[in-house]
Amino acid sequence: MLAVFRRELRAYFASPIGFVFVGFFILIAGVFFAISNLLSGNPTFTGVLSSLTFIFLFLVPILTMRLISEETRQKTDQLLITSPLSITGIVVGKYLAAVGVFVITLLITVLFPVIMSFFALLGLGWWEILGGYIGFLLMGCAFISVGLFFSSLTDNQLIAAMETFAALLLIWILDFVAQSVPSDPVSGLVFLALLGVGLVALVFFSTRNTAAAFVSFVLAAAVVVLLFVFSRSFFTGLIAKILSWFSLVKRYSDFGMGILSLSPIVYYISFSGAFVFLTIRMIEKRRWV
Amino acid sequence: MIQVENVTKKYGQRLAVDRLNFAVNRGEILGFLGPNGAGKSTTMNIITGYLSATEGSVKLDGHDILEEPQAVKKQIGYMPELPPLYVDMTVRDYLSFVCDIKGVPRSRRKDSMERSMEMLKISDVRGRLIKNLSKGYKQRVGIAQALMGTPPVLILDEPTIGLDPQQIIETRNLIRDLGREHTIILSSHILPEVQAVCSRVLIINRGKIVASDTPENLSRGMTADNRLSIRVAGAEAEALAVARRVPNVLKAESVGSREHGTVDLVVEARKDQDVRRDVFTAFAKADLPLLQMKSMDLTLEEIFLNLITEEKEVS
Repeated sequence: MLAVFRRELRAYFASPIGFVFVGFFILIAGVFFAISNLLSGNPTFTGVLSSLTFIFLFLVPILTMRLISEETRQKTDQLLITSPLSITGIVVGKYLAAVGVFVITLLITVLFPVIMSFFALLGLGWWEILGGYIGFLLMGCAFISVGLFFSSLTDNQLIAAMETFAALLLIWILDFVAQSVPSDPVSGLVFLALLGVGLVALVFFSTRNTAAAFVSFVLAAAVVVLLFVFSRSFFTGLIAKILSWFSLVKRYSDFGMGILSLSPIVYYISFSGAFVFLTIRMIEKRRWV
Repeated sequence: MIQVENVTKKYGQRLAVDRLNFAVNRGEILGFLGPNGAGKSTTMNIITGYLSATEGSVKLDGHDILEEPQAVKKQIGYMPELPPLYVDMTVRDYLSFVCDIKGVPRSRRKDSMERSMEMLKISDVRGRLIKNLSKGYKQRVGIAQALMGTPPVLILDEPTIGLDPQQIIETRNLIRDLGREHTIILSSHILPEVQAVCSRVLIINRGKIVASDTPENLSRGMTADNRLSIRVAGAEAEALAVARRVPNVLKAESVGSREHGTVDLVVEARKDQDVRRDVFTAFAKADLPLLQMKSMDLTLEEIFLNLITEEKEVS
């Protein structure tokens, strides 16, 4: 894992990608910092981080697009997979390398609050800033895990980047969408039924087994019907509830105010873990085609 | 050492490898021979654990590749069809990375790298980026990569592709040398190569083994010992007439004249009849000196084509 991590980190800075990511990020962060802190004399730095979150949409696809797709295209995955490394080790090593580039960038941006501290009469809220950074880092890790996953689906960097961008954009607008979706129980039921159908289709297409698909269909239908009969209130506002599971951005708001609460930390870590795990499964599955 | 049992691989509905059974003994150099798309690379990918077989098992010293992947993969050096090179690295960094992922201990690393760079004559490009190397160099870096940590088993998929004739000869000699310390499986669709290097040949066609033997036995088994090629000093018509009078000769044909005043004939006798003595006496009596006589061996090329066409007729 360490070998893959080191190689990958070096590869980032052997190509322009690492520099583009770091440079562009710091440029935008610098602009925001200058406008909202330096020029307006505002002493809260966490606001800069909050307004920077949109940058993930554009930079994460660039950071993650070649992580796995390029190995597939150049056939270097044959070297990695036939080596004694485990697939988990390979994927985690790559993921941590992308996170590493992100961490390096964040460390450079620490310069901004340091600059502010020269002018702060009453001292800065360093703990507040630390909290903001922890949240920002974890949110970035979650975005990167999405990019990692999409990079494992194709052998074309560009397609991986576009898919990642689309997915992140969807996550981004989720909160707006969630506000305006219908919240009555019937639409909740329809939504859940559609999800169930999607799940059954997934089972069918990944196993090609009619019996397994049928069993999962019966199970899903039973769960939906029972829920609807016995707990109708469950379906009220269900769509918004389900959509909010994927809302990475909203969970940052606490950090932005300097509040370090456990639940978003756990959320981000498990979200990242889930996508890293999916990536590992995707690569393991390739052997069985 | 390597046991391949009943290995089948299906890509969707297409059968790429069909119930393959063979074993490779320690110190053997086994050659996979077959036309493009015969299933050679797929088989190699299964042995090295890159792909999983739909059915069947691969064992190395009794350890299953799927059950104990780490232990088994440590024993194998693999050079796939396309050398798996990171083009943005220098040769030295790349080989060092390969040592890292193969878990070669630090103490042995330098030695292992130097030795294989020496063997493959790539020491002079160690500091260059792989993307700037010529195809022949890339191919050799690919082979060097497989040698890192001196694994007991080497699997080389078309190792001499993309090399110039000089390098091909060197690489073949290298593989022969390596065969003293390693068990090797190599694939090729070039017959003389397999003939020159391998101690045993598996001929694969459409995912099935159609023949398995030493190169010598393969050609002997199919030798047309009832066919003779002779060179006679004399006129064509006369020579043909003499040859056709020899008992047990079915057919005599002229294949032209290569030397002034002589004619080359191919004489086909009844099966299991050695007509060499009779041919000699007949021509001696007719006062037509025989300048040359040899039985016609089939080349591996002919055997290969025979096997494949035979199979087509059966199916």
